[in-house]
Amino acid sequence: MTSAVPPPVRSEVLLLFRSLLRTSREFADYNIREYTKRRTIDAFRQNRDLSDPSAVVAAFSDGKSQLEVARRQVIVHSLYAPKVKSVMEIKH
Amino acid sequence: MASKHLTAALRRTSPFRSFSTAAATTAHPPPAAEPYDDGEGISMKGVKIAGRPLYLDMQATSPLDPRVHDAMLPYNLSRYGNPHSRTHLYGWESDAAVEAARAQVASLINASPKEIVFTSGATEANNISVKGVMNFYKDKKRHVITTQTEHKCVLDSCRHLQQQGFDVTYLPVGPDGLVDLDQLRSAVRSNTGLVSVMMVNNEIGVIQPMEEIGKICKEFNVPLHTDAAQALGKIPIDVEKMNVSLMSLSGHKIYGPKGVGALYMRRRPRIRVEPQMNGGGQERGIRSGTVPTPLVVGMGAACELAMREMEYDERRINKLQERLLNGIRARLDGVVVNGSTERRYVGNLNLSFAYVEGESLLMGLKEVAVSSGSACTSASLEPSYVLRALGVDEDMAHTSIRFGIGRFTTEAEIDRAIELTVNQVEKLREMSPLYEMVKEGIDIKSIQWTQH
Repeated sequence: MTSAVPPPVRSEVLLLFRSLLRTSREFADYNIREYTKRRTIDAFRQNRDLSDPSAVVAAFSDGKSQLEVARRQVIVHSLYAPKVKSVMEIKH
Repeated sequence: MASKHLTAALRRTSPFRSFSTAAATTAHPPPAAEPYDDGEGISMKGVKIAGRPLYLDMQATSPLDPRVHDAMLPYNLSRYGNPHSRTHLYGWESDAAVEAARAQVASLINASPKEIVFTSGATEANNISVKGVMNFYKDKKRHVITTQTEHKCVLDSCRHLQQQGFDVTYLPVGPDGLVDLDQLRSAVRSNTGLVSVMMVNNEIGVIQPMEEIGKICKEFNVPLHTDAAQALGKIPIDVEKMNVSLMSLSGHKIYGPKGVGALYMRRRPRIRVEPQMNGGGQERGIRSGTVPTPLVVGMGAACELAMREMEYDERRINKLQERLLNGIRARLDGVVVNGSTERRYVGNLNLSFAYVEGESLLMGLKEVAVSSGSACTSASLEPSYVLRALGVDEDMAHTSIRFGIGRFTTEAEIDRAIELTVNQVEKLREMSPLYEMVKEGIDIKSIQWTQH
């Protein structure tokens, strides 16, 4: 029997969205930082109109696990961040 | 919980140099090995740049996706068992991870997990395919068909076979880089043991008509091998539709780790190979040696990610490629795209700039990490054999630049690349007397150069 997990409320979804964006800002690498931000926005935009509650629950839990992955990787990347930044981050 | 402590510790102390083992072993790093100036940019091989270049060389290798790295880390830290150890938890959990990764790789190409053999990369997979198949069937089959634009490892394996006494036909390609199907059909003999055609070319990005080639091979009952290192995860691959018997896959081209790859070997009808790595019989005897769990897990994670993200990435990269090409063409003339424009992978753009010298163009593009037509094939200054097979003139082959766009490339990077390339080409053309003559309307090819 499918578990009766209630679909997330709007505030939970918004909190997840903001947490993902906040975490993405902390990435030391320019490319990964931009990608995480862009992918988060596009994924949430794409899933905005999901109606099937099990699909909503699945997407939300996927988002939460991605947040955990992002948090861990931010730490790992910052431990080994190169001293010199990408040319894209240096004022042209 | 642990992460909160770690981030707090990070904020307290500044650079973790005292914890890095590399810094601990070398108190004063030798001057040759330490290229970085502190915070003032990088100076290496006589070139000084303000920051790390923007990366547009995705065909050479790709950065590790953080989600892939996250999947790999536990197997580098606590789950370090050998997957072939049958007697304890370390071996069991490692083996479970390898089998899960095998299923992930197989589902990306519509194959069964039992048909996937992990290797050290696509080069090893190519070697096993070409040399292994021909050596296994050497009594009856003495002929191999391949193309002139294959990767060096396939061409070199074929040359090795020629030295052993086999016949090899190197099919020419058209100026668009595509194989002529009629020529392929007429080249097949009764003793042809293998046809090897790469799916997506690494230099020019051209996609070969694999389904049609597969039909021809099925008609003549010849095994088809394809090097899909550049194609995996980027274009949809279906081994059933393409009738492929052997396929080489690479990990580090799809945002996975370097040092791992896979070989797909069809089971129905079964294709057999002579193993190139002998030993304890791992990987069903095809490739002996301990399977590197962290790398294999990384490749599996990369394949699963690629399956989910393929459509999104392709749409984005297509837009970026159009932006790059239109941006350059809007400000420069004499720009030629090498290879077919219709049948190409969107993330590979190989351009030649007329009336410009290749080495000086690359020297001025130090803030963009790109590859040129000649560099990736050999250490010499010989123009690339792929471009030569296309029939590109030598001077145009020398000025070819390969832009590789990937999942992590941003629009701002494309715009900066356009600006840097256009500026450098304009600067060089301004200095070039040849270009002056062209602008005045003189046809360069009709000039009689005086001999001294």
